Amino acid sequence: MKRFRSTAARIAIVASLALFVVLWVSLVVAWVIGGSGRFPLTTLEPQGPFSTLIDNLVIPVFIIAGVVFVGVLGAIFFIVMKYRVKGDPELDTAPMPRQTHGHTAAEITWTAIPAAILAVVGVLTAITILDLAAEEPDSVQVEVFGQQWWWGFRYDVDNDGSFTSDSDVETSTELVIPVGRPVQLSVTSNDVIHSFWIPALNGKRDAVPGMVSPWKIQADEPGVYRGQCTEFCGLSHANMRMLVRAIPAADFDRWIADQQKPAITPLSAQARAGLSEFNNNCASCHLVDGVNNEQLAENPAALVAGIAPNLTHLMSRGTFAGSIFNLHYPNPDGNDQPFGATCTMQTLRDCGDPTDIGLAGNPDNPLYRPALEAWLLNAPAVKPMAPDQGRGMPNLGLTQAQVNDLVAYLETLK
Amino acid sequence: MTSVDTPLELSSGNGSTNRPFGVFARPTGGSGWRSWFTTVDHKKIGIMYGAAALAFFIIGGLEALLIRAQLWAPRGTLLSADQYNQVFTMHGTTMIFLVVMPLGAAFANYLMPLQIGARDVAFPRINAFSFWAFLAGGLFINSSWFLGGGADGGWFMYAPNSTVTFSPSNGIDFWNMGLLITGIASLTGAVNLIVTVLNMRAPGMTMMKMPVFTWMTLVTQFLLLFAIPVLTSAQFLLLFDRNFDAAFFDVSKGGQPLLWEHLFWIFGHPEVYLMILPAFGLVSDILPVFSRKPIFGYTFIVFSGVAIGFMGWGVWAHHMFVSGIGPVSVLVFSLATMFIAVPTGVKILNWTATMVGGKISLTAPMLFCIGLITMFTIGGLSGVTHSVAPADTQQTDTYYIVAHFHYVLFGGAFFGFMGGLYYYWPKVFGYLLNETLGKVNFWVMFVGFNLTFGPMHILGLQGMSRRIYTYDAGYGFEFWNKVATIGSFILAGSIALFIFNIFYSKVKAKSLPNPGPDPWDSRTLEWMIPSPAPEYNYDPIPTVTRLDDFWYRKYGETEDGRLVRIAATEDVTQSAEGEHNVHLPSPSYWPLVAAIGLPIVGYGLIYTWWLCLVGGLITAGALYAWALEPADDPDAGHGSGHDDHPVAGSAPEAELVDASADASADASADAGAGTEGDGTTEREVETVG
Repeated sequence: MKRFRSTAARIAIVASLALFVVLWVSLVVAWVIGGSGRFPLTTLEPQGPFSTLIDNLVIPVFIIAGVVFVGVLGAIFFIVMKYRVKGDPELDTAPMPRQTHGHTAAEITWTAIPAAILAVVGVLTAITILDLAAEEPDSVQVEVFGQQWWWGFRYDVDNDGSFTSDSDVETSTELVIPVGRPVQLSVTSNDVIHSFWIPALNGKRDAVPGMVSPWKIQADEPGVYRGQCTEFCGLSHANMRMLVRAIPAADFDRWIADQQKPAITPLSAQARAGLSEFNNNCASCHLVDGVNNEQLAENPAALVAGIAPNLTHLMSRGTFAGSIFNLHYPNPDGNDQPFGATCTMQTLRDCGDPTDIGLAGNPDNPLYRPALEAWLLNAPAVKPMAPDQGRGMPNLGLTQAQVNDLVAYLETLK
Repeated sequence: MTSVDTPLELSSGNGSTNRPFGVFARPTGGSGWRSWFTTVDHKKIGIMYGAAALAFFIIGGLEALLIRAQLWAPRGTLLSADQYNQVFTMHGTTMIFLVVMPLGAAFANYLMPLQIGARDVAFPRINAFSFWAFLAGGLFINSSWFLGGGADGGWFMYAPNSTVTFSPSNGIDFWNMGLLITGIASLTGAVNLIVTVLNMRAPGMTMMKMPVFTWMTLVTQFLLLFAIPVLTSAQFLLLFDRNFDAAFFDVSKGGQPLLWEHLFWIFGHPEVYLMILPAFGLVSDILPVFSRKPIFGYTFIVFSGVAIGFMGWGVWAHHMFVSGIGPVSVLVFSLATMFIAVPTGVKILNWTATMVGGKISLTAPMLFCIGLITMFTIGGLSGVTHSVAPADTQQTDTYYIVAHFHYVLFGGAFFGFMGGLYYYWPKVFGYLLNETLGKVNFWVMFVGFNLTFGPMHILGLQGMSRRIYTYDAGYGFEFWNKVATIGSFILAGSIALFIFNIFYSKVKAKSLPNPGPDPWDSRTLEWMIPSPAPEYNYDPIPTVTRLDDFWYRKYGETEDGRLVRIAATEDVTQSAEGEHNVHLPSPSYWPLVAAIGLPIVGYGLIYTWWLCLVGGLITAGALYAWALEPADDPDAGHGSGHDDHPVAGSAPEAELVDASADASADASADAGAGTEGDGTTEREVETVG
């Protein structure tokens, strides 16, 4: 019985240690493999010069840490195995060990070696910090503002140092940038502290109210780069995302020119009905340039952060509501039944998934009506917000007919 | 001992008794459940700290399980966004302020006076007040669950998200007022323990002959002494913002949110070290026992701890690398943070060297200590990767950080405390915890801990943010979240096993002999007194000649470092037999009453102002009563075997003189004249809080 118990104990201990080793080996393997496209927010696959700078700095640090990790844990394991009392300690008669109280040379050595390694890392770190802080010439200037729970972007198109002159453009949720050109961000906030983070392009920078913090990004290849607010900012912090769409320089100039135009006047009767719904229900918070500029200036709703997303060119975006729903999405089943009554955030699977990130961010796809309709029917039901406290979009109590008109109008905001 | 001829006594008029000055009688009786409410015994207070911490640990652990269950799969529906935010805020707050800090206080209270050969702390009543204030604050914070919901701003409570505009419920008020109350507890405790270490050591115990745990307690309490006021001032700003319409953090009125960040982390980083250092101390005392070798490089272990204590003040802004403090500040704090890894590394290597060439018994406490060294090494290494500021801009506020600080605070501090609990259980409760269950406990905890927090490293590097109540499919977070959730339930199982072991071993112990004063063949003074430790600790107080004095009463060391048994353990330990005529500080009602007033003030600030008045009157009244009760009651307990004291009038003359002399000595040197004196072992070290 006793032998059985000691065998079982030995197996359990070996299994525990083996599990530990397997766990850490798989973590390292996962680190080495990196993203291979399956992790849209991964920090391990830099896609721009600044994130690459960080990656080049941290990889050697990880390797040093890994060597120390294996060395120290291996040494401790070896020492414990070698010097442990084997068998029943009650019966142990081995003499007491030699009493060593210390060794000054050893102490100095193992103080100096880590200090020397860290000094090297420190120098490299210092260089990288200064590189990342340097301002880039010929960069696109964008003001990034966070607020509960979405991101807004203002482009200083005329390079006059202001982000709100007549020729400047404002958009939200999606930051469009030209490929291969640095983008200088001025990060700030309209309410609480947020953090702007596009892992593929650079680290993060907090958006602090009352402060403007410089930061920069650059993408080497066209594509969609996802981000997430990473400073806890209240109720829907998890639902505060954003993306960067990097497009060729010529396309970017065209995009800017499009954004500068005011909204067109809708032609169809339903869209015109939708415009009056917009004026009745939405115009005290949202701006559509050329439609409700004066109304919004004179009679704004009491919002804590002051503004709501600018909808002038809503349909040029692939996602909405803090980039958690797809505004455009292929809908192969033709499943455009409204959801909201039957489908909520929690049961989206049954209604097609408007947050499927694989196909998101492409405004060339058809409009994904289910998500937009659900949002208009009852926004707080699909994204937690606090509209009664002036933070987030309220339930407007619209009928399905009103929503249909409104969607027809919003579709014209290209 | 100097004896004063005119004791602090007032004639009571009838001339038959000589009672010390005082208006209120002090409670009597050293046993029974009632005695716990009035006790000033550092050991009972330490036990209560530990019990309260473990109770809060269960609450915080259940909150952790809710978090892990919610994150089991994308779009978890167990908790709403609002509930999740409350749960993770309260999990962090509970684990830091109500579990790890009080566990440190539990060991400091129980052990430190024993380790220095003292009979109690310098101010026993303040000690009781510290505990009751901590408990009152902890219960006050948790009462928010029943009064409209917990705080929802994260344990770091960044402004302005913590102001009324963004969190109109009362949760943050509970958090704020509750931590102000526990802050009072920490501060009074810190002063008390610092004075105790500095003044009440046994004759002969110089600073460099103190056990490492006592050293680390000293460093920890100094950190508390200077860190808590910074948090308190920040909390007062928040209190004024939330309750009196001030605008310290309201940008539109000229406020500055970064002010909170700076103040919070100037507190918050020393806080990290004051949570880990007590566990470092425990390990430094336990490792030599089960290696049968002295600690390697005692001086380096001690001074690296002191160095960590000092350097801990110069690294706070590494929590703010992305907050926009500018590249120069980032650079300075980045380098400072790197170099704090050096003294930490020194400790790990010294512990390792302690085991080299030793005779290692892999008992449960030893396993937990080795667990601390290895798991803390992982946490320390990930910490070095954060100190590289550009890398931290990718890592901060992701699960990589969550992994890091759980390896430090759970794998480090909590494993150390578990080792301490297994090691000191016989000294505290008079029975050993079952070793087999203890080993199973360790391995289950080891596996559960690594499965829970190991995967969080890769989750963070793959971009999973902290403090998100939900994540979508398609980000690739599913697999490792499932592993972590499974791990967390295994971890919970290991805690259940520990609690089972307590009761199982207690039942089994009934048929076993007392483990004796020294069940582990230990080194430090506390093992020369009976188990459980008697109320009076030492009789007589030992005279210390060297580090690990008790060990060298049992063993001699030859020139070439060989050990020779010079005395049987029974001959050098103290016995509980016989009469022990030791005067102890009398119990008191007033620490408890004074603490009860504090949460009432808190409720008053939240609900209605007149409650503040009631609470304030209770606390102020209790402090007056405290001042006006007899400094020491000659009728009170004298330690075991001496409780049934005859009435004062018929007490032997000599004893009355003794008691009054003690009272006057207290008045002249409340901070414990203990270490001075004639050095005789018969000397009585008496204290009054």
